[in-house]
Amino acid sequence: MSPELLGAWVAAGLTLAIFSFLYKDNPFFKFGEHLYIGISVGYSITLLVFNFMIPKWWTPLFREGRMSLLVPTVLGLLIWTRFFPRFSWLSRWAFAFVVGFGAGIAIPRTISNFIFRQVESTAVPLVSRGQQGVSFGWGDFSNFLIAFGVLSVLTYFFFSVEHKGPIRPLARAGVLFLMVSFGASFGYTVMARVSLLFGRMYDLVEYSSRGYGYATLVLLGLMVAVFLAQALSKKREGG
Amino acid sequence: MFLRQYVPMAIAFVMGVVFAVQYYVPHPASEELLTTVNDWLIVVSGFSMVLGLASLMGSHWAKVRRGGPGWGYSLVVFLGILGTLAVGIASKGKMFAGEELTLTALGWVYDNMLVPLQGTVFSLLAFFMASATFRTFRARNLEAGLLLTAAFLVMLGHVPLGEYIWDKVLGFLPPKADQVMGWIMNVPNMAAKRGILLGVGLGMIATSLKIIFGIERAYMGEGG
Amino acid sequence: MRKLAEKILSMDRRAIYLLMASAALLPFLTGPLGLPSRVSPEVKAVYDRIESLPEGSPFLISMDFDPASKPELYPMAEALVRHAFRKNLRVIGMNLWVTGSGMAEKILSDVAEEYGKKYGRDYVYLGWAPGATNVILGLGQDIYKTYPRDYYGNETSGMPVLEGVRTLKDIPFMVDLAAGDPGIETWVVYGKAKSMAGGCTAVIAPGMYAFLNSGQLVGLIGGMRGAAEYEALLKEMGKATVGMDIQSTTHVLILGLILLSNFAFFATRRRR
Repeated sequence: MSPELLGAWVAAGLTLAIFSFLYKDNPFFKFGEHLYIGISVGYSITLLVFNFMIPKWWTPLFREGRMSLLVPTVLGLLIWTRFFPRFSWLSRWAFAFVVGFGAGIAIPRTISNFIFRQVESTAVPLVSRGQQGVSFGWGDFSNFLIAFGVLSVLTYFFFSVEHKGPIRPLARAGVLFLMVSFGASFGYTVMARVSLLFGRMYDLVEYSSRGYGYATLVLLGLMVAVFLAQALSKKREGG
Repeated sequence: MFLRQYVPMAIAFVMGVVFAVQYYVPHPASEELLTTVNDWLIVVSGFSMVLGLASLMGSHWAKVRRGGPGWGYSLVVFLGILGTLAVGIASKGKMFAGEELTLTALGWVYDNMLVPLQGTVFSLLAFFMASATFRTFRARNLEAGLLLTAAFLVMLGHVPLGEYIWDKVLGFLPPKADQVMGWIMNVPNMAAKRGILLGVGLGMIATSLKIIFGIERAYMGEGG
Repeated sequence: MRKLAEKILSMDRRAIYLLMASAALLPFLTGPLGLPSRVSPEVKAVYDRIESLPEGSPFLISMDFDPASKPELYPMAEALVRHAFRKNLRVIGMNLWVTGSGMAEKILSDVAEEYGKKYGRDYVYLGWAPGATNVILGLGQDIYKTYPRDYYGNETSGMPVLEGVRTLKDIPFMVDLAAGDPGIETWVVYGKAKSMAGGCTAVIAPGMYAFLNSGQLVGLIGGMRGAAEYEALLKEMGKATVGMDIQSTTHVLILGLILLSNFAFFATRRRR
């Protein structure tokens, strides 16, 4: 059996094992689910060691003598003290270093890229000026709607002030904008989920061909036979 | 108390202030400081990944040792980890080998096991989503009706068959399905998402300031 | 009528699963529907930007996705790398998601083989490194310090493909293909390439329109539809184009289910 053919049978089998959850929770699904966790952890460790630990830490520090890497090594070892409850408080120093750095770099970049740039592109002219004077076209209406939408959504999320009086209709408008946005997000999410389904269906259909020994069909038949046998034996026990 | 609490808070404060100010200092020494510390933290990230992976392995190993319910499946997790590691070491961490770029054993495991497993686990969501949509998507009030209408129009304009149906049924209207969808995405949807983004940005800044000033100490774990 | 409506509302979820599976399998049995997708301005903008790059320009593509997002982002990545090689750009590949490394490597090597491109001269795969934010920041400071070696262990300094590239600012255009976080938002906040576009799964695409409107992204390829539009611009029929048929049938099914459930809901509600 060639590796490609074996691979097709394994892939089809594992795919059907996970899909069997649609019928009900069962050992095939549990096996596939746990195998997935194991393989993805094993793969992550492999890449961590070969793509990072060896070429970017071990070799530069111990073979090329880059002493500056001693500092992150010490920080990393401090993180690993988490495994020893008596010394785990030492890991706080390393986490404080990492988290403090992250907090520091986030502030100016968030202000610049999230706040300023977004506000700048909201505060645009709401009318157009041409040779014939000022006009209000479809583009201007869209700009107005965007500005109003942003303001109303921000008002809705401002819970420090009670949504009463003049605030109330503005906050309510914010809710309506959010509903449109959630509806649009739902529409896109449908496409995303179906894309994943297409990926698996494509492979299952491919592996059901003669070239792959009708892998999908044989394995599906076996799985259905097992479930049928289970259902029949349960019926006999109950009957 | 001093070493366990005040020193980490001081470290977080110094790091936070230094690197918040660093952004506004264009001097080469400032850029060099950022580069050096940043490179250190890439190494530290690798060490912290080990922590996460070891915790996961530890919890499954505990299950196997205790022999509690489902311990057999935890053994499957371990076999998966060890098997993939063995294959990874044998393949020296490479997916392809040689000039002909032949698939290695690790590449085989990736293509025929990891990709199908992960892809299928997430593709189950397509079915759950269809079922949930059927059960819960009701135009009970104005808000729900608006959500439903937006979803309907976006979905119609998103696929060729939807555009075809629109052209046949509503072809007399000037905008096409994809144009209606485009307007919904670029105007009302964008406005709401921008509002959320601004809120998230302000929240990130507030949380970062709380970390720097020692108000937020969740990173210290228990007793922090 | 009411009894029928109640029966519809209490439909077994497995019947819905079966309907979904049938809608998904239908295009495989009937053959292609042959319905084209109209190209949106945001996808065309990405295409036009790559078209405008002079031959030999460096082009960074960060493939930040895992196998779960393969059906949407793999065809997108293939199309973009194909376009870049057609324009004889110098392609710099990398990724921030550890389980996506294998796919990123395969995309670059497969497409490079198609176009007879040479590793090290025409393209490079830098690989994955932990700490996404730090990696992006590092690329903004010094690419060679962040990636002293590529995925295969070769030294990056002196590589012909990276000539004249020291930081992100030396790269005229980059595309980030993202399935979540770290992804486009991380690059927007922490990275500073001269210009940037995004490709993403349909789940996160609606949130990216704010960056598109502000000009922080010059274009956006959203989901399988975006990938199919890009394939249409390249005049190629890839997997995304094939996938749009299954999108069509399942979308129409779900729209039908929504209408049916609402009719049934209002039919039962009226009588109460």
